[in-house]
Amino acid sequence: MRRLLLTAATTTAAALTLAACGTTEPAADSSKKKTSEAISLTDSTGAKVELDSPAKKVVATEWNEVESLITLGVDPVGVADVKGYKTWDTAVPLKNEPKDIGTRGEPSMDTIASLSPDLIVASSDLPDAAVKQLRKIAPVLEIKSADASDQVGQMFKNLDLIAEATGTTDKAATARKNFEAKVAEGEKALADAKLDGTDIAFADGYVTSNQVSLRPYTSGSLIGAVNERLGLKNAWKVKGDPAYGLGTTDVEGLTALPKDVRFAYIGNDDDKSSNPFSGQLKKNAVWTSLPFVKADRVHRLPDGIWMFGGPESMEAYIDALVDALTK
Amino acid sequence: MAVTEAPPVARPQAAASRTGAAAVTAALVLLVAALAVVDITQGTAAVGPSQVFKALTGQADPGDASVVVASRLPRMTAGVLVGVVLGIAGAVLQAVSRNVLASPDTLAVNAGSYLALGLVGATGVSLPLLASSGVAFAGGLAAAAVVLALSGLGTGTVRLVLAGTALALGLNSVTEGLLLLFPQQTEGLYQWNQGSISQNGFDGVLQMLPVALVGLAGLLLVARRVDALALGDDAARGLGVPVRATRVTVVVLAALLSAAAVTLAGPIGFVGLCAPALVRPLARRFRGFVRARAVLPVAGLAGAGLVLGSDVLLRAIVPADTAVAVPTGIVTSLVGAVFLVVTALRLRDTGGADAPDRLRIPSRTAFLVTVAALVAAVVGVTLAGVLLGDSKLLLGDVANWAQGRAGQTVSFVLDTRVPRVLAALCAGGALALAGTLVQAVTRNPLAEPGVLGVSGGAALGAVLLVTTVPAAGSWGVAGAAFGGAALASAVVFGLSARGGYRQNRLVLVGIGMAAGSTALISLLIVLTDPFNATKALTWLSGSTYGRTMADVLPVALVLVLGLAVAVARRTELDLVSLDEDTPRLLGLGLPRARLGLLVVGVLLAATAVASAGTIGFVGLVAPHAARALVGRRHGRVVPVAVLLGAALVGTADLLGRTVIAPAQLGAGLMTAVIGTPYFLHLLVRGRKAT
Repeated sequence: MRRLLLTAATTTAAALTLAACGTTEPAADSSKKKTSEAISLTDSTGAKVELDSPAKKVVATEWNEVESLITLGVDPVGVADVKGYKTWDTAVPLKNEPKDIGTRGEPSMDTIASLSPDLIVASSDLPDAAVKQLRKIAPVLEIKSADASDQVGQMFKNLDLIAEATGTTDKAATARKNFEAKVAEGEKALADAKLDGTDIAFADGYVTSNQVSLRPYTSGSLIGAVNERLGLKNAWKVKGDPAYGLGTTDVEGLTALPKDVRFAYIGNDDDKSSNPFSGQLKKNAVWTSLPFVKADRVHRLPDGIWMFGGPESMEAYIDALVDALTK
Repeated sequence: MAVTEAPPVARPQAAASRTGAAAVTAALVLLVAALAVVDITQGTAAVGPSQVFKALTGQADPGDASVVVASRLPRMTAGVLVGVVLGIAGAVLQAVSRNVLASPDTLAVNAGSYLALGLVGATGVSLPLLASSGVAFAGGLAAAAVVLALSGLGTGTVRLVLAGTALALGLNSVTEGLLLLFPQQTEGLYQWNQGSISQNGFDGVLQMLPVALVGLAGLLLVARRVDALALGDDAARGLGVPVRATRVTVVVLAALLSAAAVTLAGPIGFVGLCAPALVRPLARRFRGFVRARAVLPVAGLAGAGLVLGSDVLLRAIVPADTAVAVPTGIVTSLVGAVFLVVTALRLRDTGGADAPDRLRIPSRTAFLVTVAALVAAVVGVTLAGVLLGDSKLLLGDVANWAQGRAGQTVSFVLDTRVPRVLAALCAGGALALAGTLVQAVTRNPLAEPGVLGVSGGAALGAVLLVTTVPAAGSWGVAGAAFGGAALASAVVFGLSARGGYRQNRLVLVGIGMAAGSTALISLLIVLTDPFNATKALTWLSGSTYGRTMADVLPVALVLVLGLAVAVARRTELDLVSLDEDTPRLLGLGLPRARLGLLVVGVLLAATAVASAGTIGFVGLVAPHAARALVGRRHGRVVPVAVLLGAALVGTADLLGRTVIAPAQLGAGLMTAVIGTPYFLHLLVRGRKAT
């Protein structure tokens, strides 16, 4: 043990000598430039965000924010869990190769700081302490990712906030117009097919070992809200959480759905545990005896439409859903 | 223990109690049947008692019938199977180790299976259920073998539980590390680890049933030898029973049973511990239950009752939609934790404090060299912690930063990195000091804030505040952590104070408290914030993520206070840790001195948890290593232990932040990986001494 300690001490001394007194960047000059394009706005938490000019180098911690940035034509320089984004959100693909800043729950401060961004778009789901630290790195635009009382409104509020901070408000207006047009188009297509007022239940699910858990998207969820905009009726009776409007149930919970319900889901082929409906449930007697399964009213929508994304994901969803229902 | 009863005295009495035994067995069967019936009427579908009755008599509509057949019945059957198998495994393990606390949990069988499954998961291969059960079996068996080899068969209860829980903690940390390293491949394993008996159809049950039957049949075949073993090794040998072979056979079969249960439902905690213990009082009353062949099935029934009872209870008290999200294993763990505490209190405690280990007394120079080397190590870890990370820095950067002249990036990086490094160092030092104080006061070399549940209580307090008041500040969290720690320690120390913090009682009550608080934290997070697994991991695995200077302040202040107290009271610490009588002879007010030092220890542990979550083992390892290095005088032990603790957690935090950057592992996971081998080494050494 003592020898170990001595070795440690020697190594330390050696390391100290090696680390010497170099620096990785020159000492700061204290002069600050002022521009006329200064932006001042208030984020979802009521905090003031001051920017010298529209942000160009932007880091985003949550995928819906990444998607909004891409929609607004701003390619983020740092994204949490890049691999996950590429798996789950192919509807709005990344146009550049951003730096991976770690997990969505605990993004790495070091990596974010090393990107020296102009703006960090952070989810209000992050721990307060982490947001406090991010504020030291760069101005932080804290975004309330979801609000079960008005999901679509929240989505555009977020898009507008990000647009304001990046000087792309015209693109946000276009995105909103496109979305509304898509909703109107979808609504009309469904009405033409006499599907308006149809009960719909959207869910995803997870398989662990031999157990299947399902996550109903209640009318408080973004998907649920879009469904209602399309003139469909959300069939879930399960209570959702106050932010994302998601509930929990198991296979037998599906028996509470109306007989003529349309059931839609999104899974991912790159993530085997996320596909119970086309996998493990195939042989489950509860599943196979559900009226809507027997009547073949179960629709798998294409992979890569992020269920918690921005307007472009939702447009892709509307296309996919209308397509599936009217086929 | 039950099986060591004296032989029956009179025949008629025995005959009478045989009917009694039959009556008790029948009552148990009825109870399990009743619970099973209630269980199949519960669930998320609107299929209540009348529909179930119709379904069973073939008159229900096909939808209801399918719910009963493909969801309710498999779940109920899985519950019965898992309970029976775990109850029997626990009973037979207790019999051969002559140890009332042996069980699949305390022998780390579950943790071994979990790690084996995690390793397979990380390779990305997906195995059929039976094959993964085989893997789980191998892992569980290996873990059980290690624990039994380390703790010695038929010897101290505490040593077995400690070796088992320590190994379980270490193995679970490795598994959790794997989950973080390979999130894609191992997804779902974390939830699975909580244990749930829901099933997707009968497939799983049908595949595991033969495995369970093989195990059960095997155990019934060796039951007579198990009875002989209860008489003692020599007596058994005298009867011509191969002692070694019997033990090995039993452990292998019990591991097989546990592996079957684990594959089917994940680890359902503590059933193997509680079920046999519930049966034990019966054996005292009814002669019929003396033989293993009779006891085992009854223990199995009790296990089934426990699992189904927990499931029924859960679904009865929380709404169906929420109950789906709460794993059965959490409920059984809570029941088991309470049970462990009660057993510990009833246990006749013969294990007084061990004789102090004979340690050489090193010279003053040796002490100074050790301190100097440790200071250098801490400085080195601090510098490495500050310089290394996702972006590497050089010392000049730090110098610029300290003078407030650093460029943007460097200031950002250091502003966030320095508090984390300091939090790790302070938490490590505080835990080490807390361990030193608690070990001295309780004269128990195995006492430690983590093992004693004080850290668990602190984490529970902190999580409770964080979930109810999202805007709670650093001092608020530290205060809540202290409240939880104070409550937990009041319970643990209060319950074990009688008889002077006896070895067994203190540690067993503590482990019960630790298990209970972990289960409660999981429950709290599932109920309030189901989609935030990161939150749970941060608190349970110890992490410095997102710490600011404000969070470091409480633990730093308390550490300074604690050091001052410890140094000022070093002579008292020496005396208190010696034996019961010396301090009294010298006129020292023992209870008051003890209480004061304990309070300081609890305060240290609580603030450490508030700043870095639950980090185990440091409080145990650091004081031991310190005593081994510089002798047992507290004037020397305290500084060395604190420096060791700081270096250990500092290193763990550094590794956790850099190895898989930009993602990160909690410091607690890393300390467990480092701490477990050392802990086991301590146990082995302790065994050789006795």
